[in-house]
Amino acid sequence: MTARAFEAIVVGGGPAGSCAALTLARAGVDVALVERGAYPGEKNMFGGILHRMPALEKIFPDFWDRAPLQRHIVKKVVTFMTPGRSLNVEYETESFDETPYNGYTVLRPKFDRWLASKAQAAGATLITRTTVDGVIMENGKVTGIRVLRGAGELRAPVVVASDGVLSFTAAKAGLRKPRFDVKHLALGVKALLELPKEVIDDRFGLVRDQGASREFLGCTGAVHGGGFMYTNYDSISVGLVLHLGSLRESGKTPYDLLNGFLDQPQVAKLVRGARLLEYSAHLIPEGGYEMTPELVGDGIVVAGDAAGFCYAKGPNLEGINLAAHSGTLAGEAVVDARAAKDHSARSLAGYQRRLEQSFVLQDLKNFRRAPRLLEIDRLYQQYPEMICDYMDRTYRVDGTPKEGLLGMGLRMARKQVGMKNLLRDAWTAWRSI
Amino acid sequence: MFNVDDLFDYTSFNIDREAHIVLDPERCLVCDHRYCTTTCPARCYTWSEKDRKMTFVFVGCVECGTCYAVCDSHAFTRWRYPRGGFGVSYRMT
Repeated sequence: MTARAFEAIVVGGGPAGSCAALTLARAGVDVALVERGAYPGEKNMFGGILHRMPALEKIFPDFWDRAPLQRHIVKKVVTFMTPGRSLNVEYETESFDETPYNGYTVLRPKFDRWLASKAQAAGATLITRTTVDGVIMENGKVTGIRVLRGAGELRAPVVVASDGVLSFTAAKAGLRKPRFDVKHLALGVKALLELPKEVIDDRFGLVRDQGASREFLGCTGAVHGGGFMYTNYDSISVGLVLHLGSLRESGKTPYDLLNGFLDQPQVAKLVRGARLLEYSAHLIPEGGYEMTPELVGDGIVVAGDAAGFCYAKGPNLEGINLAAHSGTLAGEAVVDARAAKDHSARSLAGYQRRLEQSFVLQDLKNFRRAPRLLEIDRLYQQYPEMICDYMDRTYRVDGTPKEGLLGMGLRMARKQVGMKNLLRDAWTAWRSI
Repeated sequence: MFNVDDLFDYTSFNIDREAHIVLDPERCLVCDHRYCTTTCPARCYTWSEKDRKMTFVFVGCVECGTCYAVCDSHAFTRWRYPRGGFGVSYRMT
């Protein structure tokens, strides 16, 4: 590989990077998409749900017929559980069973590879097996990247840093602090389990290529976090998201917690007979708006996980849709900057403006306090216990007279968490979401 | 159900000759928590109390970033991703 110059370089062939490269290539920009894996998607893992991506639907109006998707999600279930008991809140709608679908399960080595191939087909140069080890700075401006391969560098007047949660590219360009706050990070661990399609359909109540998303609270002991289970076509993705600060202090290991989750009777019967296909793990940027780095610098913009664009909190867990959208906006801003022949931070600020006008930064700003909700200890054991106790008292027939439902709820809350804590947590929750 | 010691049965790796993460074990001696030993999802770090020694094996590393984030002893003399084409290789996930 000779030291070739491009008009733009995108670091990382995940959803943010491929969308940036796709947007740039479609506008006629000579763009390199640099990926460290042998193929895009080789290094990527996530829970399993890809939400609807309006920016991509503009380019591919029949996205759901083209992309390598598993199932579309028609059913969302939240489970509050304790060892042995659970309350499920299930939402199912026929409208999610129609195009445009609201979300899908996907397998990253297939999906990311497909998306990158679309950028390539539009004219981007995909460079795989190339790890980026730094940025080239001249007079405070980013003018290229250093790579662990060949001539050791690639040049371009602008770089899109979409190299994932640790983004060494953004760090080396001075856009984010070198150290992370563990409060802003979570660890995701996942087991991909093989089950026949018919078994999945029966156990989760699905037909055709309908899919289910299940999320669990109260399955991680005292460790802050939650569980998930998503149906692929003939496999299921099961795993945990563990808040790093809490995991660290607990002394528990992620794989023991995952096994504990899989062993809980309510979960065990859903995965019975399944064969483990693959185990994976990755950090998740969970700090939301509070961990967002500088998004724009001279000759550089930051997108996707690298920018902390993720929410593993609040009512819905989203990430790839934010990555894809931010990547697309980064691409558009770079196209404008190129037309103005100015790749300075001031010229690239169009990226920031676009983000602020889009759901990406608006959602992150609206839910900026949500990480605080997740810091409530009681959320992970006491509340699921209390909810299950309440359901137990409501349904149990044992010859004793029943209490009024409201009075019983208040009495239990007073006894188990205390009114003061309950009110404090309710206030935090209200302010958060 | 999942035994992390059998990781290589489930997850594929292209193993490089050269380690992408290099540790200064002297730093681990004075670390008062060694969070890496419990938080690493691939159990790459093991501390022997008897030998007072940290052992790190890079070949089963899934490149998740956990050790990079939890280590506050500046124990890494190198922490980067493997050279292109090496390291963990997800096929299905």
